[in-house]
Amino acid sequence: MTAILEARRVAKRFGGVVAVRGVDLTVRQGELLGLFGPNGAGKTTMFNLIAGAFLPDAGQVLLHGRDITREPAWRRARLGIARSFQIVRPFRALTVLENLLAAIPAHGGANDAASALALLRRVGLEARARDAAGDLTLGMLKRLEVARALAVGPRLLLLDEPLAGLAGQEAADLLRTVQALKRRMAIVMVEHNVRLALPVCDRAVVMDAGAVLAEGTPEQIRRDPAVIRAYLGSEAA
Amino acid sequence: MSLALQLLVNGLVSGGLLGVAALGVALIFGVMRVVNFAHGEFITLGAYATWLLVSQLHLSPLVGLPVAFVLGALVGVVVQAVVLARVTGRPELDVLMVTYALSVLGLGLFAQGFGGDFRSYSQGPHGNLDVAGAIIGWRSLTVLLACVAMSGATVLVIQRTRLGLGLRALAQNRDSAATCGINVVAAERIAFALASGLAAAAGCLVSMIGTTTPNVGHDLVLDAFVVVILGGMGSISGALVGALALGLVQSVVSYALDDSWSRMVAYLLLYCIILLRPQGLFGRAAA
Amino acid sequence: MSEATIERAPPRPHLRSDTLGLVIATIALAALGIALPALGASGYIRTLVYYSAFYLALGQAWNIMSGLTGYLSFAHGALSGIGAYGVVIAMNADWPMGASLAVAGGAAVLASLVIGATSLRLRGAAFTFATLFFQELMLLAVRKLPFAGGPGGLVLEQILPEWIAYVGMILLAGVATIGFALIRRSRLGIRVLAIKGDEDAAASIGIAATRLKLILFCVSALLAGLAGAVHALFTASLYPDVAFSVDLSLIALAVPLIGGVATASGPALGALLYVGLREALQLIAPSAHLTILGLLLLVVVLYMRDGIGPTLARLIRRSR
Repeated sequence: MTAILEARRVAKRFGGVVAVRGVDLTVRQGELLGLFGPNGAGKTTMFNLIAGAFLPDAGQVLLHGRDITREPAWRRARLGIARSFQIVRPFRALTVLENLLAAIPAHGGANDAASALALLRRVGLEARARDAAGDLTLGMLKRLEVARALAVGPRLLLLDEPLAGLAGQEAADLLRTVQALKRRMAIVMVEHNVRLALPVCDRAVVMDAGAVLAEGTPEQIRRDPAVIRAYLGSEAA
Repeated sequence: MSLALQLLVNGLVSGGLLGVAALGVALIFGVMRVVNFAHGEFITLGAYATWLLVSQLHLSPLVGLPVAFVLGALVGVVVQAVVLARVTGRPELDVLMVTYALSVLGLGLFAQGFGGDFRSYSQGPHGNLDVAGAIIGWRSLTVLLACVAMSGATVLVIQRTRLGLGLRALAQNRDSAATCGINVVAAERIAFALASGLAAAAGCLVSMIGTTTPNVGHDLVLDAFVVVILGGMGSISGALVGALALGLVQSVVSYALDDSWSRMVAYLLLYCIILLRPQGLFGRAAA
Repeated sequence: MSEATIERAPPRPHLRSDTLGLVIATIALAALGIALPALGASGYIRTLVYYSAFYLALGQAWNIMSGLTGYLSFAHGALSGIGAYGVVIAMNADWPMGASLAVAGGAAVLASLVIGATSLRLRGAAFTFATLFFQELMLLAVRKLPFAGGPGGLVLEQILPEWIAYVGMILLAGVATIGFALIRRSRLGIRVLAIKGDEDAAASIGIAATRLKLILFCVSALLAGLAGAVHALFTASLYPDVAFSVDLSLIALAVPLIGGVATASGPALGALLYVGLREALQLIAPSAHLTILGLLLLVVVLYMRDGIGPTLARLIRRSR
């Protein structure tokens, strides 16, 4: 499988704190990659460095072999990297439909509205298309945010703790939506809830203290003694 | 030599006034994260209050200093409690709009109450001091001393008292300050009252060396904004240093060209800061 | 999933029909305004209509930038002042009126590029400060510039019939209103409102915020410059302290904020309300307009963030 995204020796510090210390990460075409780790492991920083929310102090980020290390977030989105936010950030004053129209790349014409509606149908929000986004429930907003990210037409979808705040059924629904997407694009999911999220991943990376601790299939990760010690031992107990 | 001394004194006087005004802006921003466009109207309030004391009650303008401070602080408490406390936590631009509306309201009230006339008086300190050929008015000297005393006292309060410690903690982190048992609401009210009182006291001094119009505070506070942004938004020492520097530059520019050029220099300076600070104007700094 | 359990909100009227209705209403009102003199309206009424149109044009210009992006401009008075000086200087140099108006609009756009390019890449209050100080700088500078007549100002040498400015301003206000509605509905409008809502989230879906803000500011400045230019044709004489008065910047932002910010009809309501109130108060308290504007603005920002129009609409909907 070819690499869609490659991070090489990426490092980031905030003041005196080194959040990410020279991490290598590869995302392959069509895979669902889970990024796990205890609090402060640097997984969210890594996520934001890929999304372009801030720029690394050292290292390189390549998308399809093209260097995007210095590109701002909006240009990365146009190159095909879409993201969701840990705490949902819909455009509350816009309608649900407009939230997607804002994200669809310019083609012009009525096609935009049709493809926006098709996306809403896929996440089960078609009936709310003309309501203000601010009126939706959290579960709906999470799905709206996934749809909005999809509207960008991404080759790489970044999901920042998609399960946070969702109850059992809603979480399962969301994971099913995510799994259905992965044939069309690569997905990186940062998630705190290892128990729910690890089984659906094709591959997982576990970070600790700003570095990669382990990498492999869910089965390998579950058995990795370093992971159990650093993370699962305390979290999943 | 005597010219340089003269310009120095002029610069110190206007820098001192600017410093007291900027101190309040920085304090309010540091503690409450509020850009207070209405700060200038408190200056105007103090100026008119002093003018009334002198022209109606025939008191010395120096009496105006404490009177203006108390009046400014009282009005400040009311404004903070009735208006600003309602918008804490709202988006930055909403808060900006509220203080702007307050400023417009103040400008309107002063224009209605006092008309557009230039008000001044001759009572109070007078006469000149001749130092090495430079003529220094006692009036200017009084103003300078009062400014030094007021900024000194404020810095002492902030650096050395328990209240000041609370305010500094609040400026660092609102939530942590609250969990440390600091009464955030009361602290903000006190900070706003202190800043408003200082502004009104500065207004008293302004009325002494200049003329009072409904716009007098508005014009001074624009320079104060430049100084506060220059000094790092919210930094009190930065604001004071910036005020002295701008006062001196303006004193030289006013002498070489004229007053409006010195104001233009200040405003152009603001554009330079905007260009040079890619992280925005509100890079945080401790008090 | 959970939709079935959640009560459906009442369906919203379709946007397209909304816009069409607004365009028709705007054209009808503009036609009525233009026809008023022929219908025998007094000079007083004509003046009121003229000023409502002037403030509507300015307010709509502000609405296009600040209403849609959320970046507050305090410089729309100065932008209109630049337009005013531009048209008078050009016409006094014997340029034809059309070309002079183009000069006026172009000069205002140029100014907006200067303010915007320096400050719009920053978030938050940087733009607001840049506009605030631009306003003050312009006032000081115009008093100094010899070709602008200095503190004494300028007089338009050509004498124009009164109807030109009257009709011109009503047309401009109409164009600005329809322009706002079309932009709001367009892809540009949606994307800019997204920036206003959440600039990070907007960046995450590929919206180039700085560029869009700058584009809207230029459009907005063009309208403000033209409004100032037409008003200069109306007054025929310019004084720096009047043409660059902070009051105009205040009116430009108060009219949409009071009536209904980021809506097409809000500024119209705001302009009528302001002109009406000012006239009513003229008899009781002649210099109260600043106080009134300040109070109205304060009440609206504190208690009805969307402005009077949308708040009233909501109340009526609820009572039904």
